Parts: sequence; C-alpha cells; structure tokens
Amino acid sequence: MSEGLSPSPRGTRPGFAINTHNWLGGSIVAVLAVFFLAFAFYIPNALTARFLAAALLVIGIGAAVGLLPVHAPRDLYGGLALVMLATFALIASADLPGQRGFAFGPGTAPRLFSFVLAALGAAVAVGGVFAEGPPIEKYKIRGPTFVIVAILAFAAMIRPLGLVPATFLAFIISILGSTEMRWIESLIAAAAMTLFCVLLFVYLLNLPFQLWPRF
Amino acid sequence: MSDLLSNLWMGFHVAANPFNIFFCLLGALVGTLVGVLPGIGTVATIAMLLPITFGLPPVGALIMLAGIYYGAQYGGSTTSVLVNIPGEATSVITCLDGHQMARQGRAGPALSIAAIGSFFAGCVATVLVAALGAPLTSIALLFGPAEYFSLMVLGLIFAVVLAKGSVLKAVAMVVTGLLLSMVGSDLETGAGRMTFDIAELADGIGFANVAMGVFGFAEIVRNLELPPESRDILKTKISGLMPTRQDLIDSAGAIARGTALGSLVGILPGGGAVIASFAAYTFEKKIAKDPSRFGRGAIQGVAAPESANNAAAQTSFIPLLTLGIPPNAVMALMVGAMTIHGIVPGPQVMTKQPELFWGMIASMWLGNLMLVVINLPLVGVWVTLLRVPYRLLYPSIIVFCCIGIYSINNSPTDVVIAAIFGVVGYWFIKHDFEPAPMLLGFVLGPLMEENLRRAMLIARGDATVFFTRPISGVLLSTAIILLVLAALPKIRRRRDEVFVE
Repeated sequence: MSEGLSPSPRGTRPGFAINTHNWLGGSIVAVLAVFFLAFAFYIPNALTARFLAAALLVIGIGAAVGLLPVHAPRDLYGGLALVMLATFALIASADLPGQRGFAFGPGTAPRLFSFVLAALGAAVAVGGVFAEGPPIEKYKIRGPTFVIVAILAFAAMIRPLGLVPATFLAFIISILGSTEMRWIESLIAAAAMTLFCVLLFVYLLNLPFQLWPRF
Repeated sequence: MSDLLSNLWMGFHVAANPFNIFFCLLGALVGTLVGVLPGIGTVATIAMLLPITFGLPPVGALIMLAGIYYGAQYGGSTTSVLVNIPGEATSVITCLDGHQMARQGRAGPALSIAAIGSFFAGCVATVLVAALGAPLTSIALLFGPAEYFSLMVLGLIFAVVLAKGSVLKAVAMVVTGLLLSMVGSDLETGAGRMTFDIAELADGIGFANVAMGVFGFAEIVRNLELPPESRDILKTKISGLMPTRQDLIDSAGAIARGTALGSLVGILPGGGAVIASFAAYTFEKKIAKDPSRFGRGAIQGVAAPESANNAAAQTSFIPLLTLGIPPNAVMALMVGAMTIHGIVPGPQVMTKQPELFWGMIASMWLGNLMLVVINLPLVGVWVTLLRVPYRLLYPSIIVFCCIGIYSINNSPTDVVIAAIFGVVGYWFIKHDFEPAPMLLGFVLGPLMEENLRRAMLIARGDATVFFTRPISGVLLSTAIILLVLAALPKIRRRRDEVFVE
C-alpha cells in the first residue's frame, strides 16, 4: 500500500535549528491568503472562507516577520496548505445549494469535508508551532522542472504534432532533468522508446493515435 | 462444499481459456518486471497499464491486473535477496536475511524458499478467497447505506492507523482525498461542483491521473534527487537453486505461520502486504529459539515475510470482491479498472458475473504456479535488467505514463492534471504526507457521499442512526477505538519501531 520508499523522519527531536526561510514560507502563505481573501469577498455566501483567509493572512505575516515561532516547518506549512485547500474549496462550492429538509444538496458534502479538512489542517499547523521537527528538505529545481515541462510539452504537442514527435521530444526534455545525461546515448534511447511506444500502442493495441503532424 | 468445488471448477474453466492464461502470464511477467525495478511501485504500474486493458474483455483485463499485483510481490524479493535493494515496499524486510544469505553464497536457496513460500501462501489464500467469498457476500446483503458508510469509515481508519508517520496527517490526507473526489457533477442533481465551468472537470478528476501523478511522477522526481550511487547495483553470483532438506524443514513452520498471519492481515481493510511482511518477520523473530540468528541469514526470515506478503496480496481481494470496498491503494485502482469495464464492485459481482468472480480466483492460483515456473529460471534476466541506468529508465517511464493517460480519454487536459498532481505529490514527500490514504479517500469519496446522503434521507435527517443501528454502531465504535489507540503515545512509539526496523 505505501509506496513511499523515502525515509520520513518523524517525531520530536531536540536540537533542530529554527528554520531560516520563514520569511519566504510566511510570505507565500500571506500572498496566497490575500488572493483568497479578495476572491472570498468578491463572491457572496463565503463567510467562513473570508474568516479562514483572514486568519491565514495574519499567520502568514506572523511567520514571515518572525513573530510566530516555527519549530516544525514541515508540519506548519503542510497544515497551512491544507487549510488553504479547504478555503479554496469553500470558495469554489459557495454557489452550490445546501441542505433542504432532510435531503443533502450538492453543496452539503463539499462544505462538510472542507470544514473537517480546515480543522485537521489547523491541528497539524498548531503541532508545527509547538512540537520540534526536522527542517524542510531543500527543493531541487532541475529535476522537477524538466520532468514537469516534459509532461506539459507532451500534452501540448500530442494533438498538433502527433505521437512520434511528442514522444521523442518529451523523452529528450525529461532526460535533461538528470545530471548524468549523455547526448548520443539519449538520442538512441529516445528513438528506441518512440518506436516501442508506436508498436505497442498503435499496432498492437490499435489505439487511435495520429502519428505525424497533419499538414 | 460441493458448491464451492463446482464454482472453482467453473473458475478454472474460465481461467484455463488460452486467452486468459496468456493475460495471466503477461500480467505475472510484467508484475515481476516491475517488482524487480526499484522506483516504480505497483500502484504506478497498474495505473500506467490501465489504458492497455481497455481493449480486453473484462475478465482478461482483471486477471492481468491481478497478475501484475502478485507478480510484483515475487519480483521484489528477487532484488532484495540479490542486490539488497527492495524492488517493492513489501520486500523491504526480506533484505535483512535474504541478502545475508546471498552473501554466504546461498542466494539460490533464499530465492527458491521465497518462491516456494509464496506459492504455498498463494494456494492457501486462493482457497480462502473462494471459501469466504460466499458467506461474506450474504453478510453484505444485510448492509444498508448507514452500514456501508460506517464500513468505509472503518476501512479508511484502518488505512490511517497502518500508514507510517503521523496519524493526524494521515487523517488529513484521507479528507483531502474525499474533498478532491467531490469535484465534478453532483450524483443526484447533476450540478457542476467546484468545476469553474471547465468542461474537462465536469466528469471529475480522473483517478488514474491522480494516481499517476502522486505515485509515478512524484516518485521519479524524488529518485532524481538521490545520489546516483544509491541506485547502483552490485553483482552477486548465484550457485545452486535448490534448498537443502534441512532448509525445507527449517522453513516449513515459518511458511505456515507467515501464510496464516498474512491471510488475516490481508482481509482487514487498510491492511495489505507491507504490514503483513513486517508482522510475520517480527513474529518469527519473537518465537525463535535463537533470535540473534535473524539478520544474519536465517532462512525463516525469508520464508515468513515472503509467504505473508503473498497471502495478504491475495486475501485483500476479499473485501473488494464481496463488499465492494478497496482495502488498499492497489485495490482502489482495481475498483477503477472494474468501473471502466462497467462492473460495479460489490456483492452483486458474485451473483451477476460468476464467471468473472470465480475466473479471477482460479487465475490467482494459476498465476502463482506460473510465477514459480517463470521466476526461478529468469532470475538471471531480471538481474541484467537492473543494469539499465536510471537516467534512461525514468524518461521511458514518463513518456509511457503520458501516452497512457492521454489514451484514456484522448484528452491532453488529463496529462496536465497528472502533471499538477506530480508537483503535489513531490510537495507531499517534502512535508511527510503519505499519498496512499489520500488515494483511498479519493476513490471511496463518491461512494461514501452517496451512502451518507441515502442514510440521512432514510433516517429523516437523524444523524444518530449511524450509532443506533447495531452493525453500523459496532463498525463505527471499532473505528473510533482504533483511532484513539493509534493516537496514544505508547502504541505510536511501537508502531514507529516496526517501521524503523
């Protein structure tokens, strides 16, 4: 069931230095909170969302200027992000009719789960203020960027250009994410993989793919 | 009893169809392949290969997916023993003694005991699934909406308790999954919920996109961060496959105990193969006359967890096939696969589609037999495969996933959604959130909401109905007790120990 092969350090460990990037984390929270706050005031029927967004704004600023002690940044920002998701869901489902008599409306369940998620997220965040925890691992730029760009490029290319160019180029872009890449080897591998995919999906499985750009 | 036999006979009739044997073999092979390769999990593979099964008949498709699942249990053990790299989370524990045996030149016996243990466990579990299927199905008929809702709550709580890391965070992940599953058209009124008038979201977020994003793409990005040395492979010589008579005598008890424990854990919602293998190993070590031999190449340390994980992998089909409730993330994907083929998982599968139900059960046994036959001679091939460098492997997985997602609906938007979930999954890893409970919540969300709504409507808005109806009350109380126990500090510490070991 659990696929996480990465070790996840957990629990209270004394001696972790207080995270130095709180100005960044706090600012991100605050900026997003401003956005949510404006959104929540723009639409009707989002009272809780307004309240949550305002609370997020205060906490974000507090963390950014150092007024809020952050002992477990993974938990604090993780919890705040969940509260943000709940706020966003509340805004998004504000236009849905709620309970009528005994019957749930379309908006009842989303709002119910949003409230629960906001409460749980807040609890996780509170833990991040009071319990000690490890600092946030450094985010790498190169790997994730190239992988995501490759996937998005595939999505953009598959319709206009067809399967062969999309597969080949997505392969090349994603391989750039690794520091160990070698050009000749990569080009050969990309060609081989493209051939394999064409044979498998188009000839063996008969899926309706367009192979080349349509002129 | 004669019913059971005639049903099994029918099942074997279905499974022995040359096409189905071929799919079973293919699934088992692909599963082993995936199990051998570190970095591609079972969930990601099943998600990846879902589109391929579209063109197949439903029986063939499900037989193949099931084959992938238990094939991965076998394949994972091969690399654990030979190169001390668990291909799967389920075979982490096999590394401890398996690799020690390999270092002492006993890789052959370790691998064959793993295969024999798994095969035995598979046989027992097959009979168990067949025998328990019918009675559990009749229990399912007593279930109303309130009971179904409570059962799903219990299942989700089990998943939370058994996930590693913080209980609170795991609960939060489940609710995140539930909330995400609300996106799309409302079941009763058809109103678009949280869709922002984006046409592609009207049908909801596809679960294959979510699974591929948080398990496939996020895991790849994560692996890229690790230093290359940690992915490199050692070489070991394999001499002599057969275990000695003494090995067989030593491991017989361990295999039997592992099978029993694994079958039990597999049935419990939220259980699954990972927990089973850990529990079996710990248990063996506890009852051993000389516990210090464990970790130094004790054959029981290979036999017990390998039998347990295979037994659990199979018995976890029981809640899915009888109650329609997936006990773990892999089974959640099976729900998706069944839905795609127009089959509603649940008690009605057995009565309405007996060929599918019994065919799948029979194919489990056939699949296990095939695995023994193909796995041992192919050990050398799998090891060679490990020498493919990761820098070439991961782009192949990425393009394969992209094509797979695109082919489900011919929709580039789906690919974009998967990319977004890849980023989300990466963020989860950085903040110690487990994605598996989220996926389970995501799959169960619509079912839970539907049953909650119905139960409330029938009870005329009285929420106490979940506690006053006896079965539902027992299920919910169990869930609450479990949650409280898991949150208590003492048990939490012990749970952490199990995962550290």
